[in-house]
Amino acid sequence: MVFAIVVAIVTLVVIAAAVAAFFIIRSRNEGAVGKPRGGRDVVKSIDHISALPSHGRPSVSPTPSISTSSVRTAPSSTTGRPSETVHSRFVAVGVLATVVFGALTAKLWSMQVLSSGSYKNEALQNKYTTVATPAPRGLVYDANGVLLVKNRTVLTVLADASVAENHDVIQRLSAVLGIPYNIVSLRIQNQSSGAQSQRVVAADARQRDVAFIAEHSDAFEGVTVQERTVREYPYGALAAHVLGYTGTVSEEELLTVPENRVIELGDTVGKSGIEAYYDNMLAGEHGQRRVIVDSQGRVVEVESETQATRGNDVHLTINAAVQYIADLELANLIAPEGVIGKGRGVGGAVVAMDVTDGSIIAMASYPTFDPTTFTGGIAQDVWDLYSTEESYYPLLNRAISGTYPAASTYKAYTSLAGLKYGFADDKKKWNCEGSWDGFNSGDWQNCWDLGGHGEIDLFRGIRVSCDVVFYEIAKDFFYAGVTQGGSISDTALQEEIAKFGFGQQTGIDLSGEEAGRIPTPEWKVQHWVDVPTEGYWRGGDLTNLVIGQGDCLITPLQNAVGYAAVATGNLMRPHLLKEVRNTEDQPVVTFEPEVVSVPDVKPEHYKQVRTALNYVGVDSDAVVNAFEEWGVDVMTVGSKTGTGEVAGKGDVAWYVCYYPFDKPKYVVSTCIEQGGGGAIIAGPVGAHVMGALISADRGDLTDVGWVAGSSGKSVALGTTGAEARTD
Amino acid sequence: MPEISNITTGNPISPGGNRSSRRGGLPSINLPFIVVIALLVLYGLVVVYSAVSTDEDYSFTRQLAGVGIGLVVMAVIWAFDYRRLSDYTAVFLIINVVLILSPHLPLIGVNTMGATSWIKIGPLPQLQPGEFAKITVILLDASIMARYQGRLDDLTEYLKAVGMMLVPFVCIMTQPDLGTGLVYLFIAAVALVVGGANVRYLIITLVICVLMVVAVFLIDEVIKNASGEYKLLKQYQRDRLLVFMNQGSTDLTDEGYNLQQAMIAIGSGGLFGQGYMQGSQHALGILPEAPTDFIFCVLAEELGFFGVLALLVLYAALVIIGFRIANASSDMFGVLIVMCILGMWLFHILENIGMTCGLMPITGIPLPFMSYGTSFMIMNFALLGFMGSVWAHGMENTRRTSYATPH
Repeated sequence: MVFAIVVAIVTLVVIAAAVAAFFIIRSRNEGAVGKPRGGRDVVKSIDHISALPSHGRPSVSPTPSISTSSVRTAPSSTTGRPSETVHSRFVAVGVLATVVFGALTAKLWSMQVLSSGSYKNEALQNKYTTVATPAPRGLVYDANGVLLVKNRTVLTVLADASVAENHDVIQRLSAVLGIPYNIVSLRIQNQSSGAQSQRVVAADARQRDVAFIAEHSDAFEGVTVQERTVREYPYGALAAHVLGYTGTVSEEELLTVPENRVIELGDTVGKSGIEAYYDNMLAGEHGQRRVIVDSQGRVVEVESETQATRGNDVHLTINAAVQYIADLELANLIAPEGVIGKGRGVGGAVVAMDVTDGSIIAMASYPTFDPTTFTGGIAQDVWDLYSTEESYYPLLNRAISGTYPAASTYKAYTSLAGLKYGFADDKKKWNCEGSWDGFNSGDWQNCWDLGGHGEIDLFRGIRVSCDVVFYEIAKDFFYAGVTQGGSISDTALQEEIAKFGFGQQTGIDLSGEEAGRIPTPEWKVQHWVDVPTEGYWRGGDLTNLVIGQGDCLITPLQNAVGYAAVATGNLMRPHLLKEVRNTEDQPVVTFEPEVVSVPDVKPEHYKQVRTALNYVGVDSDAVVNAFEEWGVDVMTVGSKTGTGEVAGKGDVAWYVCYYPFDKPKYVVSTCIEQGGGGAIIAGPVGAHVMGALISADRGDLTDVGWVAGSSGKSVALGTTGAEARTD
Repeated sequence: MPEISNITTGNPISPGGNRSSRRGGLPSINLPFIVVIALLVLYGLVVVYSAVSTDEDYSFTRQLAGVGIGLVVMAVIWAFDYRRLSDYTAVFLIINVVLILSPHLPLIGVNTMGATSWIKIGPLPQLQPGEFAKITVILLDASIMARYQGRLDDLTEYLKAVGMMLVPFVCIMTQPDLGTGLVYLFIAAVALVVGGANVRYLIITLVICVLMVVAVFLIDEVIKNASGEYKLLKQYQRDRLLVFMNQGSTDLTDEGYNLQQAMIAIGSGGLFGQGYMQGSQHALGILPEAPTDFIFCVLAEELGFFGVLALLVLYAALVIIGFRIANASSDMFGVLIVMCILGMWLFHILENIGMTCGLMPITGIPLPFMSYGTSFMIMNFALLGFMGSVWAHGMENTRRTSYATPH
């Protein structure tokens, strides 16, 4: 039907062109043939006269011309009207007109009728724009279903970049939102979410302010209000380093988007902690909003909308109640009034783990932060504060990223190494005189007890942490090395230590984990490559290493995993994820325990070391009392203290313990930076957290409280933290 | 006006047709002509109304005012006997030069986007004298060729005529405004062809023109190699040409984007269009310069192929009526005036519609009676006035009045 109509129309146009041609030809013929037609003859005769050369002005003469039938095209013709002399030229212009109209009609016919479909599609594509709407992230729970991270719907006031030049609008925004003029102006100039994207003026505006802006939209040109979900943390800084924080995706992050993840400019993504590690799981699916947008990018009409779907929920192995105790213990010890320096130490970490499957029950690090500070973008002043040396870097997760000398906690591992190579056994005894120069180098090395321990076996050596016993063991390792003419590897001791997971990442489901360091001759050469004379490996290096001093570095998490292996014989991979559940509460991912390796240690050697560890706690009143506060008998615990020396700083206090001694279930590793003596400073913290674990296990401990983030303030440490060692 | 014709005629046997029309009380009113003009102008206003409705920078009232002034101008010129102008070739030449060069004058000249094409006098709106000069260019070219009475075989005379016709072109290229310059050249070409210039001369002139265009490109290339940049053709002119040559290319410059959006607007109109005031391409501001240079896209988008055909039929009717008026004219000057006017409109129609659908390269030439713009509207009404004048005064000694008047 349509085709027929179009054919009809085109026919009409052709007819019109034909009519035009007809008139042209007709006038030509008439002029040429000049048929006599009554009175017209008279007029024609006048025509001829007017066509006489007279510079356009017709001069009228009564003399009629005779030649009424001259040749039509003859230019010399003086007959007829002037148009007759140029008839062929008329035809030329007529042909031009026909060509113009014909070509245009043909072209438009092909565009508007033949290929109209594809143009219509393109017009629709121009007309409609699909905008992705942000999806709420999944929630985060602890092992018992306590909600640790939830979502809150907020009204966000956004402004186009162009508003930065509009003083009136900034003035009005400032008045309505109650934010100082220059802050509004700064926020609009902030390009961190992309040069073209809208800038957040107020991340969480009040309902009535938003209503005012909506009602007076003319006065707020370029300002829009968006409903967004932001993270909310019911317990403040509780487990902040585990949970991590979220933020607007950066341009660098957009370049490395994982294959199965869709990230749009302006989206919120996990930046640290499990928010970052399980970002794929937590992120929801964008909603799609089909809108009509004009060339200025203004939304004219919303055509259709599909809702965004929330991401999966993550359930952690963390026990919020134990975590709360761990966070509190550190905060109370280090910054009793919220100011670092008024307590003991300047930072610290506690890691509590289930030794049977590697589940992390608590992981605390101090100083800490409240992830709420990051919702809607962290304020510049807070960021600056957290980046200063005086704040001791609250964003650093010391449990996995803080590296410290292992100190005497290393002795459990080095004892096992000595037993394996026969440099120690259940009979062998050494003599401690308080200081030692087994290499006859003239450089004396001290035992922590300068008075000396006298005649001493391995059991007592571990229990009282006698350094001389271990110097002797290290000396045996040194001389047995190939370079010294012996038969075993020069790095035999290091290899035994490495079997407990040191010098490598534990593989916990967090990013930013440090591997630590076990110094070797090779490492020393590399390290001193610019000063080759210092790169020479000496016996003293090994005697330092054997007691966890010198260049060896470990993380609190590594020590927890290492002691779990000493307690059970299995080196586990630590993990925070219990399971991932979808929005219908069905588990989609469940974490399976993973034994990384089984160190080849003889059972009798384990037994010997474990027995000694069982007696470490009872020697320290601080530790005994701390356990008693939670109703725990110290003799059901295996533990080790440690006091690490750091050049120019206070000692690092260590306390690692596992429980119950006979059938281990939990391990707690505690480390206090510049804290001082291991037993006195770190011991009670570790004992309290272990007590909390045991209470929680019985179901006696369920309370979770709000934890404050670090104030970022500090004063000079009141105690030196470098009193005489006590381990 | 009837008195004048009476006196000039001074003939007792004056045409009966003329007389009869005078008896009807409406002397010299060509009804089909008036109807076609009315339809075209109304159609244009309807389309412009839709085009300006979404853009605050344009005012429909101003366009209406342009039509109002244009009607007055048309009536005055219609009543005026064009034959009085036939001897003023030199005057037209001077007026042309003054008009076209006036934007170069200090105080009133306005330079926008690299071209000195506008003047601003006191509180008057900004005007484009090159637009009004189209009238005097037509009168100049017609008066030059009229004196040869349809036959020009003398080479010296031919060269003299061509030389005079080239003066406005040379002047406009100092602004520079190539688009308007091409219109002047086309008017001159129509005047030469219709004016009876020797066919051999015409062909040789055409060949020389083609060679000169080629030469311009070659010399420009040499200049670029020597100095590092093109001097003769401006970059935007090159871009437009490149866009025209590489249609459908995905690597789009601004010009290419404009053309693509224009073609989408036209094509998406389909047979019946998206509906009046419903065109998404211009309503959303995607279509560039919708009310002015790309007005045709608005029409094609909203009213479809039928709307487009209606416009083309109206234009064709105007051209046919023009032919009839020229054919009936009693003197060469009138013939040439009408034919030059038709030629100019044809060029505008071809170039404007052609550029929007990819047949011609993009230039800023408006569509007669459709495009937004007061200067252009008044100028077109003036041209209609001249056509009317030729019809009313040019046939006074002919019997062919009946030809164009209804019975």
